[in-house]
Amino acid sequence: MRSPAPRAVPEARRTPIARREARTAYLFLAPALVFFAVFFYTPIADILNTSTLTGPHADRFDGLGNYADAFRDPAARNSFKVTLLFAVGTTVGAIVLGLALALLANRQLRGRTLFRLALLVPYLTSIAVIGLLWQNILDPQTGILNRVLDELGLPTQQWLITHPLATIVAVTLWMISGYTMMLFLAGLQGIPQVYYEAATVDGAGPWRRFFSITLPLLAPTTLFVSVMAVISGLQAFGQAYIITGGGPAKQTDLYVYHVYETAFRDRDFGYSSALSVLLMLVIVAFTVVQLRAGRRGEVQY
Amino acid sequence: MSASDAPGISRRRVLGLAGAAAAAAGLAACGSGAPESDSAPGGGEDGTFTVYWNPGHHYEAYQKVIKEFEEEHGVTVRMQMYQWEELETRLLADLQAGRAPDVLEEPGGWAQRYALSGDALSLRKYLDEDGKAMGFPDDWQPATVRHNTHAGEVYGIQLHMTCQLLVYNREMFADAGVRPPTTWDEVVDVAKELTHDGVYGLQLNQDQAYGWPWMLQNGVLDYNHTTKKVMQPQDAAMEALQFQADLVHRHEVSPVPVPSKDYSAPQKALSAKRAAMIVTGPWDLPVIKQSSPDLEYGIAQMPTGRRQSTILAGTSMFIPKKAPRPDLSWDFIKRLTTLETELAATAETGMLMPRRSWAAKPEVKGNADIAAFAQGLTYAEDAHPQTYLSGKGTELDQAWKTLYQSVLMTGESVPSAYREYTDTARAIIAD
Amino acid sequence: MASRVAAYVMLTLACLLTVIPLLYMVSLSLQTQGETLSGGAVLWPDSPQFQNYAQLFEQAPFGRFIVNSVVVAGAITLAHLAFDPLVGYVFAKFRFPFRNTLLVAILATLMIPFFVRMIPLYVMFSDLGWLDSYQALVLPFLMDGFGIFLMRQFIQPIPDDLIHAARVDGAGEFTIYWRIILPQTKPALAVLGLFTFVFQWNEFLWPLVATSDETMRTIPVGLTRFSEEHFQLWHLTAAGSVIAFVPTAVLLVLSQRYFVRGITLTGLK
Repeated sequence: MRSPAPRAVPEARRTPIARREARTAYLFLAPALVFFAVFFYTPIADILNTSTLTGPHADRFDGLGNYADAFRDPAARNSFKVTLLFAVGTTVGAIVLGLALALLANRQLRGRTLFRLALLVPYLTSIAVIGLLWQNILDPQTGILNRVLDELGLPTQQWLITHPLATIVAVTLWMISGYTMMLFLAGLQGIPQVYYEAATVDGAGPWRRFFSITLPLLAPTTLFVSVMAVISGLQAFGQAYIITGGGPAKQTDLYVYHVYETAFRDRDFGYSSALSVLLMLVIVAFTVVQLRAGRRGEVQY
Repeated sequence: MSASDAPGISRRRVLGLAGAAAAAAGLAACGSGAPESDSAPGGGEDGTFTVYWNPGHHYEAYQKVIKEFEEEHGVTVRMQMYQWEELETRLLADLQAGRAPDVLEEPGGWAQRYALSGDALSLRKYLDEDGKAMGFPDDWQPATVRHNTHAGEVYGIQLHMTCQLLVYNREMFADAGVRPPTTWDEVVDVAKELTHDGVYGLQLNQDQAYGWPWMLQNGVLDYNHTTKKVMQPQDAAMEALQFQADLVHRHEVSPVPVPSKDYSAPQKALSAKRAAMIVTGPWDLPVIKQSSPDLEYGIAQMPTGRRQSTILAGTSMFIPKKAPRPDLSWDFIKRLTTLETELAATAETGMLMPRRSWAAKPEVKGNADIAAFAQGLTYAEDAHPQTYLSGKGTELDQAWKTLYQSVLMTGESVPSAYREYTDTARAIIAD
Repeated sequence: MASRVAAYVMLTLACLLTVIPLLYMVSLSLQTQGETLSGGAVLWPDSPQFQNYAQLFEQAPFGRFIVNSVVVAGAITLAHLAFDPLVGYVFAKFRFPFRNTLLVAILATLMIPFFVRMIPLYVMFSDLGWLDSYQALVLPFLMDGFGIFLMRQFIQPIPDDLIHAARVDGAGEFTIYWRIILPQTKPALAVLGLFTFVFQWNEFLWPLVATSDETMRTIPVGLTRFSEEHFQLWHLTAAGSVIAFVPTAVLLVLSQRYFVRGITLTGLK
């Protein structure tokens, strides 16, 4: 059951109470509104403006030229494709792994707090440190992983060459799965136990219970996780900046890294601004679609 | 709840709220007392002199000179350390904001690039005045002067000058009964002899700059500003690429390089005795000594393809046009590039220097390591002499990086990777 | 019973997978520089070099980096704790014109990569003469859409009757917020505080660009000091990373008992 969305009341028909409430609201909101205007919307306006300029000093007007370039630029297209795959991979992976870990860690096990904390630890470490660490671990020649594999008599890897994108997806999942586990744990605890009891009485087995109770009732969590994971996947930067430098041959050229290079290596602030604006539009589109789909799929009990 | 008893917000509460709002900002503000507000590159009225520098080059020899500089001019020098990439990010952010540091160190090629974009200061005025006394340009290796000249004017002064040569494990060479290669055929043969159980004969670097010695040995020019052609002559370029690709994929005398932002993998392999030979500069020698003291290394000159060559590397200093006190900046550059300072820095670090009189000194000639690299300097070349003139030097380097990685790492065929490169490069130049 | 054992085994494996790489960082921090550069992939050093940790403070103003990180991440966290619940409360419980528009406008900021704001912010702070200052490091992060959303979700289920009753009793609006709403949001505040602190503690790009003075650098940026031109001083970088990790671990342990509850009640479930 959802209450109807509050509709804006025409000013003339507002009661004094409503007016006072509005005044209080705006008073409380004032610092936030100023903050977001100054530190988010002013820069965005600036970027929109810069996206119409060109040249190393970004001082020549070029209309929508940068946007037109973006659609023709194979490097931009490649990095968009790479980033899309990265975002999908990390989102799906984060949901599957997070949910699996949450189901395990939700059981009445001794020491489960410790498990939960240990799994969350990588999420609290900076991507800069994680990037350097994994680079060090994965190096086929001098890395610790191949040394261990070798000593165990297992075949060695060179994943950063053979599966570069999958590798940075995996490192990212290593980092964030503990966090999505926490979100799913919270979701699991919100499911009333009676549903399970009733289902058990009806003779439903564990799989049946999972698919007919757990999964549908977790839909809002899943939606939230997927929205956040897609947003941060599309904005990923450090994985390319620290670990791969976008290589080999641009196979991990994440979009924000590409835009960063366009701005600070190629010194094309106009073009990089246009690419940024396009990314924001894509993120908004993704979010809206996910929320729509999520709302349609919501199950009412 | 009626209108009358719905309490509004009292004045006191408003003030309290405003106070809360200000609290965080205030907290931030009072914390900032520690360092004197803005160090102001671009401001300049205060007594600080801002230098952007590489943390690997903060030598004692320079610190001594800097102290004298501070005393003489009554300023405090702030050496602000950045890795190259981050240094350029900061510099470009500065230029966007209409400010600049007093002077900066750059890894090669920036002086020309920023001269072309109108952001570097021509040193003509200063060189007219002081050139003779400091021995410029006659005492500098000509390549280092060309490398910092744009449209007939000098914009930067070379600080270090290095090149890449072959560094190898003497014991492995003796065991295999081979001598350092002098031709490409010998490179392959020797590397094959040296490659066995977990040891590679010649480990190539993942960084695309390390592909250039071979390209130069085949006489390849990556960009010709007159003809606007890239990577010519084509057959020589493809041959040099194929040669490197074969070392990795056909002869398997080098492991597949791993993309990263680090150039130290070959050095580590040499130190770990998993590579018999690498291409590197003098900076790796102290590292090798420290990481494997028992390793006896040798230094060999670069082999000859169609000719003998290697890449010239090393840093320069230049003054941004917006630098607040260019006269001071110039004096700073002058002090760091005296022969005396060069020799002190070499004694401290083994780094190579651009002055001819430096190369003639007995202490330089007497040190086998330094002498070997000093010999390399006599044929080392700027890998991209005209590229900056396109105004697209970094984009072209990105395209080269893709070409290098495609051929060496992903094993794409040379002709198709080369074609992709030229398509990309032409589009970049035409843009 | 068998499934219980299986659960234990799988959880233990997962934990080993997350913890072992981090332990390797500890190992790196105790190796000699020679060992880290030797290419030999040393699993654990022969003689642990605890003096690497002392070297951090000798070779760079590492103490200063720590102070800066604490001040910056601390100030931002306090700001979030001060503002996010208040703003979240307004969006959860007040009706006023343009409410949904404003909420969307604030949540939309989540979709803006920080990098996009960087140059305009740099120019702004440069014009103010505030580069290399705590203001520059703190102000752009005082609030964010995520914290506000989190608090709004958490506050929404609190019964309106509580608020009405307080108003009837003549309590001022801020008192209602401060005395009635805020105390109920403790679990969410713990979650918010932890994540805010950790993210700011690890922030890299902005402190890198906004500061050039070594005395103003935070730990992640300060760690770049431990790279030479051609190689990384791994033993020091790792030691710095281990030190940087300690406060986040402490906060995690302190806030853990609120954790699941904090997230559950936000309605993110």
